[in-house]
Amino acid sequence: MNASRDIAESARTPIGVRAAQSRLHLGWLSSSKGLGILFLLPAVVLVVLFFLMPVALTGVFAFTNMTTATGITGGAYQVSPGTLRVLTDRYGMGELAERLGQPTYVVDEQGLAALEEKGIDKNIIDSLRDGLLGKTYASRRELERDIRGLPDRPNTRTVKSISEEFSRSLANARFSSRESLIAAAEAIDPDLTDEEKEALAASTYTGWTWTTENFRRLASSPTTRQVLFNTLFFVAMTLVIFNTGYAMVLAIATHYIPDRPAGIFRIIWFLPRISPVVIYVLLWKWLAWDTGFLSAFLSNFGVRPRNWMLDTATNAWFFVIVINGFVGASMGMVIFASAIKAIPESLFHAASVDGAYRWQQIRHIILPQLKWPILFVTCYQTLSLLTSIDQTLLATNGGPGGATEVWSLWIYHTALNNYAGNLQYGMGAAMALVLVVIGIVLSLIYLRLFNYNALVAKPRIEL
Amino acid sequence: MRILLEHFSKSFGAVKVIEDMTLEIKDGEMLALLGPSGCGKSTTLFAICGIHRVTSGRILFGDRDVTNVPSQERNVGVVFQSYALYPHMTVADNIAFPLRIRKMPEAEVKRQVEEIAGLVHIEGLLGRRPAELSGGQQQRVALARALVRRPNVLLLDEPLANLDAKLRLEMRSEIRRIQLETGITAILVTHDQVEAMSMCDRIAIMNAGEIIQIATPQEMYRNPRTAFVAGFLGNPPIAFIEAEARDGSLAVKNADIRLPVPKNATVPPDGTPVIIGIRPESLGTEGDATIRGRVSFIETQGRENLYDITLENGSVLRSIQRVRDDIALDDVVEWKVRSDDIFLFAENGERL
Ligand SMILES: Nc1ncnc2c1ncn2[C@@H]1O[C@H](COP(=O)(O)OP(=O)(O)OP(=O)(O)O)[C@@H](O)[C@H]1O
Ligand SMILES: [Mg+2]
Repeated sequence: MNASRDIAESARTPIGVRAAQSRLHLGWLSSSKGLGILFLLPAVVLVVLFFLMPVALTGVFAFTNMTTATGITGGAYQVSPGTLRVLTDRYGMGELAERLGQPTYVVDEQGLAALEEKGIDKNIIDSLRDGLLGKTYASRRELERDIRGLPDRPNTRTVKSISEEFSRSLANARFSSRESLIAAAEAIDPDLTDEEKEALAASTYTGWTWTTENFRRLASSPTTRQVLFNTLFFVAMTLVIFNTGYAMVLAIATHYIPDRPAGIFRIIWFLPRISPVVIYVLLWKWLAWDTGFLSAFLSNFGVRPRNWMLDTATNAWFFVIVINGFVGASMGMVIFASAIKAIPESLFHAASVDGAYRWQQIRHIILPQLKWPILFVTCYQTLSLLTSIDQTLLATNGGPGGATEVWSLWIYHTALNNYAGNLQYGMGAAMALVLVVIGIVLSLIYLRLFNYNALVAKPRIEL
Repeated sequence: MRILLEHFSKSFGAVKVIEDMTLEIKDGEMLALLGPSGCGKSTTLFAICGIHRVTSGRILFGDRDVTNVPSQERNVGVVFQSYALYPHMTVADNIAFPLRIRKMPEAEVKRQVEEIAGLVHIEGLLGRRPAELSGGQQQRVALARALVRRPNVLLLDEPLANLDAKLRLEMRSEIRRIQLETGITAILVTHDQVEAMSMCDRIAIMNAGEIIQIATPQEMYRNPRTAFVAGFLGNPPIAFIEAEARDGSLAVKNADIRLPVPKNATVPPDGTPVIIGIRPESLGTEGDATIRGRVSFIETQGRENLYDITLENGSVLRSIQRVRDDIALDDVVEWKVRSDDIFLFAENGERL
């Protein structure tokens, strides 16, 4: 940061001075600390731009009520039956709402000017100004009766087009700024209090506003509890059964079988990881569809064909966990396998002659030395499972009936893909923020559980 | 316990490492398996403790055939070259491991660990981790872990190779002391002849998967069966020169030197090419035969000097003598050798 400012400044200084300074700049560059910062600069910019900014923006959006309707830029002030109802219900200003909602006619200079524009007879305008200026009418009929009573007696069509210009009703009017809204309202009712102006502006505003409403809604919604439970269930089961448990079984099994079959075995478990998600999930869907392999096979035994994946909540969970688990198991397998490989062969020999059979070797030699890899995989996979969405989205899309709706999917459905069409960005951001907090809290718990400080203080695997 | 390897062979795939080895280790003795690197010492050791299955042959512990018994049930104590201490366990847990695996009551485990720790002098280290120990201390812990189960046989795979010279000297006598105190049958694998000679009751010398000779250190030094054995034992090592039997004595090739046939050898027929081995201590001021040569190198060793003398045919002999001032580099000397102290080998290395 400093570097660019220095250079920018030196560019502005006269040449003579710059020459004198250049030695200084060279010295600065050749110090490894300065160079290091310079080299880090692009990374810092990228981190800020692509990592910190989205996180910060999520935090900001979380405290707004942005939706498709409000847009993400500022909005306008729209008076509608809806907003008037809000004014009545939320602010208890029913009387004001009624007044503003009713059609009102006011003979004012603004209307007269509009008539001039329309090319209405000058005499008619003058007599309107002399006779009716400043008068207010509750209905068009009264106004028109007075117009017809003018000395010039305009014909019916002209009367209609004149009365139209004096309509000052707020109903269904749209204002681009607060000032014009208030001005129009004051035209109807000059005695508005500040409180009433405030309420009017707030209830007619169509843009987004700052609010903590998202969190209140989250905290009180029963859906929240259900989705939270789904998420914890999903993460815990996938993590324990597949990402660490099954990965450990694979790693240990491949440790005890010869190298070549072990390599082939590992590659098989890598396939789900390296195949495109869409194809991988499609294969599962083909397997489970009512005309798919499973149904076709089981129909031989008289089982009714059905969509096994979405048939019941239990089945859906089974598939969601298995589909995600097979993808996640490969990472743990590789990390555990290489950590086991790093244990000197002689330790296994020593354990054998000390009387330890395979199971005891696993229990007493392998597992205690895999504490750190287990922590790493658990932590990493918890976070990635919390945020993972693609497999579940493609497989069940949260179904049947929201049974497998997990938090990240819920965010997606709320903020980015919604049947009603009104995408709730602010709400989605609030939910994402909650997810981030959950992730941080879980990480801290893991670090405490595995006694991270003791782990990093000394290397644990010595030769 | 007596250990017996009977016609033991071991191959890794197509590679035959040991072929038809028969070896007996007597009850309570310490035997050295001595040989150059890659001759199959560790392989033999791993077969005895059951880490490798034998390709053919039998292994007996006492009268029990353990050939097909897994290593977990053979009750052997092994000190590995790298010690193989469990890094995540304390010293006490390391030593207790073989006992706990056998489900020994905890009170008994504690008692035995303390007893063995006393034997190898590591009472103060029981709470530490292996990484917090010096090489010599790790060595003692490994020894304690090997001994604590009261094994049928103690196997030591180059236990001193990783120690510095002074520690090596110290641990040499320590291991021997402990072996004698416990009366355990032990096999020491080493490629260091000094270690083998100073620590063991008997030495089995190996080359390329075969045992060449088994004898006490003294016997082996005095009476090597082949040129290989003679060359392996002794520091500074024996020197060899080529010669030919002629008229009942030995004529050194391309040199005007004649040596009588030693009494312990059979006189070869005339014209037989032979190899004469002369130890550095046999060549000097006393003897019944004369060797003439030029002093080509003098190495001071403190109490003694080591002289290289080059014969006229270019061969080099070594002589170790007390320090003397009358010899300088390039002097031509005529030194004596006792004919009964020289060794006579056939061209193929067999002793004559
Ligand atoms: N697992 C194995 N597979 C193939 N060959 C092996 C294997 N283990 C040992 N060998 C071979 O067997 C021979 C003997 O090995 P071994 O380890 O017994 O030698 P050593 O006498 O202990 O040598 P060192 O003093 O270097 O330890 C060597 O040539 C080695 O290459
Ligand atoms: Mg070896």
